Order: sequence, then C-alpha cells, then structure tokens
Amino acid sequence: MTLLNIENLTVSFPQHDGVVQAVRGVSLRVSPGESIGIVGESGSGKSVTCMAALRLLREPPSRIVADRLELGGVDMLRAGRTQLAAVRGRIAAMVFQDPMTAFDPVFTIGHQIVETIRAHRDLSKSAATTEAAALLARVEIKTPDAILNSYPHQLSGGMLQRAMIAMALSCRPQILFADEPTTALDVTIQAQILHLIKQLQAELGMALIMVTHDLGVVAETVDRVVVMYGGRVMETAPVQDIFDAPLHPYTQALMASMPGRTPGKQRLIEIAGASPNPANPPTGCPFHPRCAVADAQCAAEAPAFRALSESRAAACWRLA
Amino acid sequence: MTPALELKNVSKTYQLRQSGGFFARTTDHLAVNNVSLTLPRNQILGLVGESGSGKTTTGMMAMRLVEPSAGQILVDGTDITALGHAALKPFRRKMQVVFQDSYSALDPMMTLAQIVAEPLHIHGLGTASEQTEQALEMLVKTGLDRSYGNRYPHELSGGQRQRVAIARALILRPQVLVADEPTSALDVSVKAQIINLLLDLQAEMGLSILFISHDLSVVRSLTDKVAVMFQGRIVEEAPTETIFTDARHPYTRSLLDAIPVLNPRERRARTFLSRVQIEAATPRLSGQDGTPELHDIAPGHRLEAIR
Amino acid sequence: MIRYILGRLASIALTFTVVSIIVFLMMHAVPGGPFDGNDMPVNDAVKAKLNASLGLDQPLYVQYFKYMWGVLHFDFGVPFQSPGETVLQLLGRAWPPSLILGGAGVLIGAPLGILLGMAAALRRNTWIDYLASAFATLGLTIPVFVISMALIMVFAVWLNWLPASGWGKPRSWILPIIAYAAIPMATYARYTRSAMLDVLTKPFVTVLRAKGLSERRIIFQHVLRNAALPMVTVFLPMFIGTATGSIFVEAMFRVPGLGAYFVSSIELRDYSLEMALILMITMMFCVAYLISDIIYALLNPRIRFGDRK
Repeated sequence: MTLLNIENLTVSFPQHDGVVQAVRGVSLRVSPGESIGIVGESGSGKSVTCMAALRLLREPPSRIVADRLELGGVDMLRAGRTQLAAVRGRIAAMVFQDPMTAFDPVFTIGHQIVETIRAHRDLSKSAATTEAAALLARVEIKTPDAILNSYPHQLSGGMLQRAMIAMALSCRPQILFADEPTTALDVTIQAQILHLIKQLQAELGMALIMVTHDLGVVAETVDRVVVMYGGRVMETAPVQDIFDAPLHPYTQALMASMPGRTPGKQRLIEIAGASPNPANPPTGCPFHPRCAVADAQCAAEAPAFRALSESRAAACWRLA
Repeated sequence: MTPALELKNVSKTYQLRQSGGFFARTTDHLAVNNVSLTLPRNQILGLVGESGSGKTTTGMMAMRLVEPSAGQILVDGTDITALGHAALKPFRRKMQVVFQDSYSALDPMMTLAQIVAEPLHIHGLGTASEQTEQALEMLVKTGLDRSYGNRYPHELSGGQRQRVAIARALILRPQVLVADEPTSALDVSVKAQIINLLLDLQAEMGLSILFISHDLSVVRSLTDKVAVMFQGRIVEEAPTETIFTDARHPYTRSLLDAIPVLNPRERRARTFLSRVQIEAATPRLSGQDGTPELHDIAPGHRLEAIR
Repeated sequence: MIRYILGRLASIALTFTVVSIIVFLMMHAVPGGPFDGNDMPVNDAVKAKLNASLGLDQPLYVQYFKYMWGVLHFDFGVPFQSPGETVLQLLGRAWPPSLILGGAGVLIGAPLGILLGMAAALRRNTWIDYLASAFATLGLTIPVFVISMALIMVFAVWLNWLPASGWGKPRSWILPIIAYAAIPMATYARYTRSAMLDVLTKPFVTVLRAKGLSERRIIFQHVLRNAALPMVTVFLPMFIGTATGSIFVEAMFRVPGLGAYFVSSIELRDYSLEMALILMITMMFCVAYLISDIIYALLNPRIRFGDRK
C-alpha cells in the first residue's frame, strides 16, 4: 500500500516576467511508517512539493499539475474543500519552520490544540483539553497545564515547536510532514526536537517526511533520502548509501563541501556558481552549469530519472 | 606584539521596561557579563554561543556600535572605549563589520561599485575615479568580475551579495573584521565559497577576524581559536582543535554533542542538559566551594571553573 | 493595568493643558477683536467699555486662568454672537443634529465598509475586489458636497421622495446621513481590506489550514479577530472625528448643527465658544484614544500579559 503517491508533479507560479516553475516533474512514493528526508537548497522545490501534496498553496496564483496526487487513498487533485480539510490534520499533519509565527497570537496554545482535536474527532471540550494536556506531556513538556494556558508570545521557540508537534500529532496522522522543523532553533534545541520527532515516529508508526537543507539532519533522522535541485529530484537512495557512496555529481559535491568534516582550519571544496534562478532555469539538467563532469548533452536535454538498482535512482547522463 | 583587538572585562547591561506605560518600572538585564577576549593579529577567533548568549552584543561592542556599560576596548593597543565621534574616526577605518543579512545592508538604489566605494568616499580617500577603480578591484578580489560594478543588489544571489558586503568592509584595508553569522543565511552549496573567501582574504590581507557563529562545523574549518559564550559569559576558550577534542566545560560539551552526525552510522543517544544542570555541573579544579571564574588550565585554554 | 490607565490620564491632562494654551494664544494672536466688525462700527470708547465688561482688557494670562478656572467648573462662558445663552446651552442646542448625523453616518458606513473590505480581501484580485476597491476609492475622492448634490438631485428633485433640506422630521435626516456615511464606509473598506490581507499572509493561517479547520472557522474566528486588533484603535477616534459633524454636509442640507459655529466662532472672534469647541473635541479624542487602547490591550494577549520569556 502506498500512503503518499505523487507522479510527475509540476507546480508553477505566474510572475510579472513569466512563469516560475518551482517543481518540475517530481515523483515520490511513501509507504506507511517510512521515514524520508527531502534535501535541497532554497528554490529546490522541496517545500513546495510538500505544500502541494496537502494542497496548501494558494490556487490561483499557483498551478498544480500531476499525473497522480494521492494522500491516504484520497485523490488530492479532485478533492473538494471539506474532503481536503478531512485529510489535513487527520491523515497528514505538518510541522513548520518557524514556531514563533506558526501559532495564532491571540489564542492560547490550549485553545489551538483543542480546536484541532475537535475539528476531526467527536470529543467534548473538556475531554479534548485533557487529551491536549496528555499530548503536551508526550512531547516532554513538564508543565502541560501551564503551557495550555499560555499565549504563544510567552513561550520560547523550542517550547513552541514541541507544542506544534503535539498539535500535529493530536489526531494520530498517518504521515507527518516536517518542513525544516529545527532551522529556526538553537543547536542544542535542534538536537532535542529531532530526537523527539524520531522517537514519536517510531512509537506511533507514522510515516515521516523531513524537509531540510541540512545533511546532518538527514543523517540523524531518516531511512531514505530524496535529493532535490532546481525543482527536480536528482537522486534517491537509502540514507546510508547516500553518505557512503553518493552517485549524482550534485550530491557528491554537496557532501564534499560540508564544513567541519576534517579537523583543522582549511579551505573547503566548493561548488562554483549559484543556485539556479527559478524564473530563468538553465536548459537541460539544472545542475549542469555548476557540474564538474557536464558536457553538451547535459546542457541540451534534462536526463530522465532512472532506477540504478533496486533501491537507488538518479537523474544524470553520466550515470547511464 | 600588540593584539589587533582586545576586550577587557566588558559588560553590557540593558534596562528592560516592564509592561505598563507611563510609570513603568525597569529591570536590569546583564546581556554580557565581564567578558575578556584577545584577537591576535592575523588570526580568526570564533565566538560561539546560542541565541541570547550575548555573542552578537559582544561583537557590536568591539566595534563600538553598542556602548559597553563597563570595561575597555583596545584596538592596536589603544583604548578606544571613551573616544568621541571625531577621535574614533581613524579607528573606524581599522575595524569593519559584515552581517548575516547582507541584503538589508546594501542600499538598493546604489550600484555595486558605488556601494563598495562608499567607505572611501566617507573617509575622503582619493578622487572619484580612483575610488571607483579601487572598488572594482575589490569586487574582483571577492570573486565578482568588473562588470558587476554597474549592477544593483537585487540582481544578485545571496552568496554574491555577501561577497559585495565583504568587499565593502575590506576596501579600507581594515585590520579587524567582525563577521556576525555571515554564512548562516546562505545556501549549503554557497557556504563553502564564502568560508574560502574569508580564509583567502585573511591570509592575503593579514586580517584579524572575529567570527561570530552558532555553527560549530563552520567554526571548525575557519578559526584558529574558539571562545564559547553562555548566559553572557565566556565559559571556555581554547585553540579550535582543543575545543573539538578536549572540551572541559559542560556547556561546550553539550554544544558539541548537539552537532548532527556526519554519517548515519554515527547515530547515537544523547543526554540533554538544562541550563540549570549545566550551571550545577560547573567544573571544580579542587574540592572546594566558591564562585566560578575563568582559569588558565593549559596554554591558551581558559575554562570557567570553581578553584 | 491600573498603573497604565493612571499614566494615560496624567498624559491626557498634560495634552489638554498644552492644547488649551496653544489655542488660547493663537486665538488672541489673530488681529482684531469681537467688536471690530465693519458692518456694525462702534466707537472706541464703547468698544473699550464692552471689552472691559467681558474682561478682554485684562492681561492674557489672567484671561486664560479665569477661563480655565471656569472650565474646571463646567462654565465655558457666554458666546458673544448669542449672548442670551451660555456656551453650554448653545452646544446643547446645536450639537444633537450633528451628533445624529455623524453617529448614524458612522454606524451605517462602518459596518458596510467592513463588509466591503472583507469581501474584497477574501476574493482578492477578482472582480469583487476591484469593484469594492473602486467603490471605496470613489467614496474617498469624490468631495462630499458632490455626493450631496447628486443625492439631492436624484431623490429630492427628480424622484421627489425625500426633502432636499432641513432637519425637521426624521424623514429629512435620511439624505444627509447617506451622504455623510460615504466617508466612514470608504475608510473602513480600505482599512479592513488591508488588515485582512495582512493577516491572511501570516504563516499561522497556513498552519490553520494544515490542521484541517474549515475555511469558515479560519476566517471568522482567527483572521477576523487578528484583523480587528489594529482596527479597534481607529474606530473610536474616527467616530469622534465624524460625530463632531461635517461642515459641508450640514451646509448642503441646511442642518442646524454645530458645523456652522466652527466657522462663525473664528470669524467673529467668539473666544469663549471657540475655546469650548476645541477643548471639548480635544477631550473627546483623548478619551477615545484611551478607551481604544484599553480595548486593544484587552484583545491582545501580548499587552495583557506582557512577555514572560
């Protein structure tokens, strides 16, 4: 059974000087309980892919086209408003990057968790409040009742992100999208939150999509990695394979340029150039202008995403 | 040799206004508490800590962009703590700063050549055409070719904008550069470029850099020495590799332990310490009680401990 | 909170004093006096006598303190242009029509404007938005006397449904109120639209959608409540601003309101009335700002509870 099934997804935004294609032909399948990391830089299309999967982008202006977009058996492309609302929070929940802006500032944390529970489950207000307190305890908050009665501005980023996770888990979703959940947090808090997400994922048996720019976050949390660049998937592989033997030139370059890999003050291996401009992407493979092994074919035509083994696949002419 | 920059017992107290309008009470908040730092010539000193640790305030005080409440700031051995605007100007030439968000720091109405030449203009150095020529040379030095001189900030990528900010900071050939999280907002694939640029320029121009960051991986590749800040204090300072291999303070250790692994094979369980637990675990050099202070425990290795 | 209100009251007292001094000085800095008119010349001896009877021959600071002492006892003096009554009596007579006109205008215009603004924000960049925005812009740019003229032409002259002027029966109130409501309607429509759009682009709205809340709940419980925060701060002061009456609408429809006295008190150097009008309006604005700040604080947890971090 496939929980999330995306085939050939394209997301575009019209802009004053043309159409920006944020996602260009992405396919992704996630099974129940699986944990996947989507790695990419800004403009790679990683967040937009997740937002599109939940149909959270404003349409118009954005335009979503796909051969298939199914979440928990629901055809997300054809689902109406009520059906979408039933999927969101219930089948698939999402945790966002900046916990400081993710809560409505005029309501208490408790109010916001309770309204989530009551949107999907037939519970009284007091039963839902009890449940909310239990959820906060579950995310290792020591004083759940105090936090329930707090307003967002009264809490730290780490505490808010815990509450956010508790809220996301309140209706036992089958899949959790975590979009850079630790980027806005301090290093030590990041480690705690990642640990918490990993632990809850295992305990609840839900699938996880961890969206991040940080290879370290991926190394810590997921089983399989999807590397995105310029709106396309470059490579996918089990997490250990990606770190032991990256195949795509972009993945290889990204690994090699990570600072702090070896002791001592030293120049790093750098990737020349800048990320592609989504409004004016290069022809062919999006990485070819910065790629050390690119040739005329790479500039002329985008390589197809093809399986290289049972568990690995990549989009690169050099890997044919 | 006199160090390029020295902070002696510098503190900063902020008055926090309690909510309540006209007759509101204020409480004192000690953002930086008795910090002493030495930035030797031609070296890169990493100042590491989490949000609220006081690292940015310390950097701003070193530049006298924030006035210290107590302590002294020495540039080239001269005390600049009490200098007025005019007397400070020659020292401003010796100290420059680069921020995390270079976009808001670049005037969108000016060309890159104008932006980079502006400090020369302010200090009245050279004719207009000499200033432009120097600016273009500096752009080339930071990895942008001369054609960029006529462009505007919005035409650039994040990494290119950070190059321009660095070019502007270095055009006066300063001795000291304070770099506050200059790579934090950059894409992973561009981060290495800027780190390399800073390393190259430091060697070439004989710069001394105070590199403020929360990213220990970057600090490891870039710095000679690291000072760790916690709750406004420096709790440990040592040569960079010593910090990574032989950290003694519980806070330094918890920071290092929190760095994500570089390979999934190294995944491990971690113990997380609260601030209170960290304070309680302050190292003791002997069995006695007392107040924690910085002590030299090895050459170049300072540790906050109870003697 | 009590501390806060006490602080605000102190600053209101200060504002009030400063405004009174400035107005008093400016009033007397304008050359001429109440008996200098050309249509009814009086000789110097009579003028001196009249001035003395009204205390106008005394030094300015004495006049100021005398007047303000009276104000503290709710004695605003006697209007020179209508010496048969006190200033308070004159206000009591002339204010009600202005109050009805302005108050009804706001009460009708504001809700309409808010609805219009909401519709525009929720249907951003559709014909509803464009139509609402065009409507609001027209309301702000067309001078109120043009609107008044148009209303009189259509409903009084051509259709002959309503009286063209006067303030007798409530039937005659309708046209001036409609003419006047255009201003608050347009202002509120623009304000609501931008406040709503501002909230709609906040990240927490995406989170609310991701939680699976219905669109109706998102808009009516979360977005509106957040958008209302900045709006409460303008509602009351605007109410005061409009409830003091509109000179133009009152003139167009011959409403016997306060508007005319604003102008005449300045022209005739009617010092007592002029001071009284400005002081009352100052006081009302101060109180309105205070009340709206308190409401804002009550609605906004950030102010109510302060930062705990």
